[in-house]
Amino acid sequence: MEAEIINPFVTAAAEVLRAEAGLTVKRGALSLQSGAVTTDEVAVLLTLLGDIEGMVVFNFPLSLCLGLVSRMLDQEFEEFGELAQSGIAELGNVIAGGAATRMSNAGISADISVPTMIMGQGLSVAAPRFQRLVVPLETEYGCLEMHLAVRRRAG
Amino acid sequence: MAVKVEFVNPFVTAAAEVLRAEVGTEIKRGTLSLQNSAATTDDVTVLINLVGDVEGTVMFSMSREMALGMVSEMIGEPVAELDELAQSGIGELGNVISGQAATRLSQGGLSANISVPTLIVGQGAKISTLDFQRLVVPLETRLGTMKVHLALRQK
Repeated sequence: MEAEIINPFVTAAAEVLRAEAGLTVKRGALSLQSGAVTTDEVAVLLTLLGDIEGMVVFNFPLSLCLGLVSRMLDQEFEEFGELAQSGIAELGNVIAGGAATRMSNAGISADISVPTMIMGQGLSVAAPRFQRLVVPLETEYGCLEMHLAVRRRAG
Repeated sequence: MAVKVEFVNPFVTAAAEVLRAEVGTEIKRGTLSLQNSAATTDDVTVLINLVGDVEGTVMFSMSREMALGMVSEMIGEPVAELDELAQSGIGELGNVISGQAATRLSQGGLSANISVPTLIVGQGAKISTLDFQRLVVPLETRLGTMKVHLALRQK
């Protein structure tokens, strides 16, 4: 997977988490995996369509979701209800949108789908026949794992 | 946001044609239902996004037995394991149905691109399409019932 695709996501994630929740992220070691993502407590899935195609999965422990929405909305959240869910989905959307803007500045154009949220640990989520790069983003509330299964569209 | 009923027929017609051609089964449409809360996953869910004049998420959910039954018919030999090849076959089926449905929508003046398919494997978790309502269309076949979830809106 190319740096032109990876870097926009890493930069956008760090910026959005700082801007929306005042969090500083520390990027862990990247790893390339095959097979399916195993979901954490909350996963946000988006797909990309355009010059590049594939899926992005943001894997969140519940503690991180609650910490994030508490900061985003400046109100303590102890339960992951509808408002909190929509805040976390929106966060995934804004990160992916920011990455798409950065890629388009580099001449790679892609649309971002609406987000879907999966709640329940241990499911497998796969884009068959795609390689997947895992980017761990450490925060004070836990680790956000960003999975990028994205490639340039053939032809 | 309400799902338009005019989105249903392109998907039902496409599913009927693709399942007849690829799997050799007729379908019988069951009763439609409109759902606001998150869907509970069956064993296998194929998720595809639409981007364009119509946007949102389409999911095809089914039991493991049905998924294996369909792949066995497609390949022409018994498939007992839901490995990457089988998952790729089920994803492709969702892809072809959605592609034909998109062609039908475009004949009605609504153009939309479809994402690559993603596969979610694991029962009993929740999948939320957030502020999109879902119209659920059960399609009964000789291999089991596939539920088509349409969380779509006109942009």
